[in-house]
Amino acid sequence: MNIIGITACTAGIAHTYIAKEKLVKAAQARGHWAKIETQGTIGVEDELTAEDVAKADVVIIAADIGVRGKERFEGKKIVEVATSIVIKSPNVLLDKLEEKLGK
Amino acid sequence: MKTGVLDMDIGDILEEDLIELDMSAATKDEAIKNLAALLYQKGNVTDKEAFIQDVYLREAEGQTGLGSGIAIPHGKSDAVSVTSIAVGRTKKDLAWESLDDLPVHVVILFAVRNVDKTTIHLKLLSQVAAALADDDVLERLLHTDDKAEVIRLLSNKM
Repeated sequence: MNIIGITACTAGIAHTYIAKEKLVKAAQARGHWAKIETQGTIGVEDELTAEDVAKADVVIIAADIGVRGKERFEGKKIVEVATSIVIKSPNVLLDKLEEKLGK
Repeated sequence: MKTGVLDMDIGDILEEDLIELDMSAATKDEAIKNLAALLYQKGNVTDKEAFIQDVYLREAEGQTGLGSGIAIPHGKSDAVSVTSIAVGRTKKDLAWESLDDLPVHVVILFAVRNVDKTTIHLKLLSQVAAALADDDVLERLLHTDDKAEVIRLLSNKM
């Protein structure tokens, strides 16, 4: 499936980027396409485009603070979790998504 | 996945004299103080106590133990003059708030300048953080006795 998402943590220094890598790695290992935008101290990186959103089956927001630009995902299936969930067990989260979405 | 950091050198933020692979610390507090002292000696932190206070401010906001024996405390502080990282490893189990509730042996302390916005250093920090998403990297950090390898592992270039 096509997964997009946003990661953001309180300080915007470390967890944001660990969560992104974990999610992308786990998704790719399972044969999914994934693009994750980071909203950290350095600002927004790998910003999700309208095209990314259009082809996404699911949006994962892994954040400990409010994220910007959620309106882009209107009408999409959105899963919101803390960064710790993604850092600790990205595969458990993906298991659930695969089961729910049947993909 | 690489973070697209091309011309930057991890050596700007992580040097061998800021790595201690045989730290005597027996508690989280001692570990943070040891590493803060390294950063202070190096001149990267101008006020040790103020920096430590800011590290604990971040600690209060949520756990910094990543699991697998690794913790990443970080202080964004006016007391930091050079954004950089200090790494310490202990033989002793450090009790630390962690995602897997297990003790910590490797402490990677991020010292971040308050005024650093959109600088190369912050980008490098995010690159180091991304390297920590790899379980093999965490495993090697727990066991290597080579400081150069620590730098290599954290630079996300395998």
